[in-house]
Amino acid sequence: MIQMKKKKLFVLILAAAAAAFVSACGKAPAGETASAAESGTAAAAETSAAAAPAAQPAEDGLLRAAILYDMSSMDVAKTTDNYMVPLNVFDRLFETRMRDGTAQVEGSLCTDFTVSEDGLRYEFTLRDGVVFSNGSALTASDVKYSFERLLIAANENTDIPLEVAGGEELMNGKAKELTGFEVLDDTHFAVTLKAPNAGFTAELSSPAMSIVDAETMESVKNFGSEPADTIGSGPYVVTEWIANDHYTLEYNDKYWGAEPTVKKVDVRVIPDPGTQNLMFRNGELDMIDLQSLDSSIVESTYKTEYPDRIISAPRVGVTYFALNADNEYLKDLNVRKAIAMAIDADEIITGIYNNNAIPESGIIPTGIWGHNDALERTAYDPEGAKKLLEESGYKDGEIHFEMAVDSAADSNIKLTCQAVSQMLEAVGIRAEIKNYDHSACLDLRLSGKMDSFIARWGMDYNDPANIMYTFFGSPEKTAQRSLNYKDKDVMARVAAASSITDDQAREAEYQALEQKIIGEDAAWVPLFEELHLYCLGDRVSGFTPHWAGFSDFYAADVVLK
Amino acid sequence: MIRNICRRLGESVIVLLGVALMIFVMLRIVPGNPVATMMGEHADLAVIERMTAELGLDQPVYIQFIRYITGALKGDFGTSYSLGKPVSFLMGTAFGNTLKLALFAALFAWALGIACGISAAARKNGLADHLFMGVSLMGVSMPIFMVAMLLQYVFAYHLHWLPISGINDWRGFLLPAVALGWNSAGSISRLVRSTLLDILQEDYIDTARGKGRTQAGVLIFHAFRNALLPVITMMALQFSSLLSGAVITETVFSINGIGRLAVQAIAGRDIPLLEGTALFTTLVVILGNLAADCLYDILDPRIRKEV
Repeated sequence: MIQMKKKKLFVLILAAAAAAFVSACGKAPAGETASAAESGTAAAAETSAAAAPAAQPAEDGLLRAAILYDMSSMDVAKTTDNYMVPLNVFDRLFETRMRDGTAQVEGSLCTDFTVSEDGLRYEFTLRDGVVFSNGSALTASDVKYSFERLLIAANENTDIPLEVAGGEELMNGKAKELTGFEVLDDTHFAVTLKAPNAGFTAELSSPAMSIVDAETMESVKNFGSEPADTIGSGPYVVTEWIANDHYTLEYNDKYWGAEPTVKKVDVRVIPDPGTQNLMFRNGELDMIDLQSLDSSIVESTYKTEYPDRIISAPRVGVTYFALNADNEYLKDLNVRKAIAMAIDADEIITGIYNNNAIPESGIIPTGIWGHNDALERTAYDPEGAKKLLEESGYKDGEIHFEMAVDSAADSNIKLTCQAVSQMLEAVGIRAEIKNYDHSACLDLRLSGKMDSFIARWGMDYNDPANIMYTFFGSPEKTAQRSLNYKDKDVMARVAAASSITDDQAREAEYQALEQKIIGEDAAWVPLFEELHLYCLGDRVSGFTPHWAGFSDFYAADVVLK
Repeated sequence: MIRNICRRLGESVIVLLGVALMIFVMLRIVPGNPVATMMGEHADLAVIERMTAELGLDQPVYIQFIRYITGALKGDFGTSYSLGKPVSFLMGTAFGNTLKLALFAALFAWALGIACGISAAARKNGLADHLFMGVSLMGVSMPIFMVAMLLQYVFAYHLHWLPISGINDWRGFLLPAVALGWNSAGSISRLVRSTLLDILQEDYIDTARGKGRTQAGVLIFHAFRNALLPVITMMALQFSSLLSGAVITETVFSINGIGRLAVQAIAGRDIPLLEGTALFTTLVVILGNLAADCLYDILDPRIRKEV
């Protein structure tokens, strides 16, 4: 009898435990089970959260933010995607900032400049009285050193200084200095370009062109990896960096500009999106990059609970579908046109991006000078696509190629690949998705042998050349980026377009080139431009995202309560 | 015994060298250019070639291997491509965190596992037995990420008792240690129970009872002591496994440990970091096994004699 009672009690306890477990797991909103489980965000999916502790006003001037992955270096010469330190600790001659809703290039360290009539020689005047955070004066020699150092060691950002006369010679070790850079005095210098470039000042606003202290660089060993060695003239200094844990920026009291409300920035490396979500909702973060979270959580939780705290900015750039012109099927213009017609970008924007993207019809993205609003989008027309394929004599399912997916790509890009593959299947084209790890994927792409891929290109500076030249400016560039686009005349025109000094003529040329590359050649398929969402915590009253919608931002553009 | 340990240490060096060679060769066979990955897609091909030469990756593999082993013997494992810092420094920092986490987790797992196992064996088929074995089954079968997130949600987010992430003080270790040790506690308790139940059938247990020993005395001093051998083996292996990194726990609770470092190295094709973490993991597993063997020798004189 006692044994029976014990058994019943045991069954009851087990049932209660099971019920508690099921109910604990069952609160996730419908429709996100699979992705939440995979990405480890099940807890984050909870919407019945306890009230977060009331946040105190930010009188301490502290801004708490989180990132998924740590930066690889604080030195902009060694990184092309970790710009938080370059943006906040260093200055550039020019900055691109959002003014009245548009991105504008404005002087920063440079207060004045003139350009010669042939567009080759620039003379710059530096701001008076600027010092680095160690107290040494910023002079024209520091600017020259900053240009040269990008070419001397094996660095990642060589494109811009290579445009200066003598850049190639310095990089190849045939010269000891950059001959096209002339220091006139402490606050004046001249730069002579190899060819005219109307977008040169915009290029100088890119993070790659951060100005460093020559004296410091010569005397320290760990610039970019040790905070004490990483000296700039920007509004903040790096006071601590514990790799894979956190880094701290503090206000530079020697900064020449206006004093920001944020006096200290604590950036923590939180690799799990679910943990970031809980920390924000618990009042432990002052802002969260919603790009880090599963989009279903953004929709179900943030857009319903914090609709007034969400800030949206375009991630200035294009998500595109690149097609290899050397592929036996993709070299056929009709096939490429049919592919463009078979893809319903609006459906992807609605279904995958929850309308947090805007369709793009060309190469130069919305928000960039030279963007063509009037460029006609290729209409979604699967029947028309089938007819084009029939005209070329292809049978249903005969056309097949590989669509490479980078394992490091974000989940929305992977879903977009699946959607595009299904859309192409509907018109009889088999685009087989193949996953590659990041390194192998990059290697295959650089070899020019990849059949096709979908990726996003983000703009570094506000000039069409940043994307047009990178993708269609030379056979080497097109082999890697646009998968062997063939028209050398177009490449020559793209390269020459940078030299056109008349803005209207230059804009017209870029738009004509876009029409040729996309409208006539269907070289790649522009899909959309994403919107970048951020959510602000209780202690933040205002925030202006980076003009290009980077995850990195100017801390001075955050206003604390 | 010392001779035995020396022999095992000698074998371990050979295993370590073999693993180092295997990892070294494999990393150079798999597709993908580590330098291109490190430099990013903006990098000029000429710059990639220059960097490849600077890193010595254009040298024949055997020369690279000799250089690597020579450096490793001096404690120099190179500089991480993805974090730009010396691998030995990164591993040292990460190992400190992993060691603390493993110790907390092991203590929790062993204390809970052994207590539950003994209690369950003492009351075979009783309420405690069913309850503890049910809970231990849950421990064995629940994925770590689920335990971690449930603990995080309940104790950190909902009740605000403990931090959501980070290990700034001992409180920060509690949730990760429970999440990580939960599974091990389940295995230990089931092993202790089954081993004890087998031993309790032995004649010498009846003898002990006949001499008037209490049930607890029999269980602890006669049965449990003899049940220790397989339990210690499992504990040693569990500990070396905990030390070699707990990727999920470290990720969910934002702990900069060896597991996360290894995953980062794999994702970024960071050869020096990957080689360093792989060698380190191998070393920890070898030492774990060695420790288990030594404990065997100490606990069971018969093994010493056989050797």
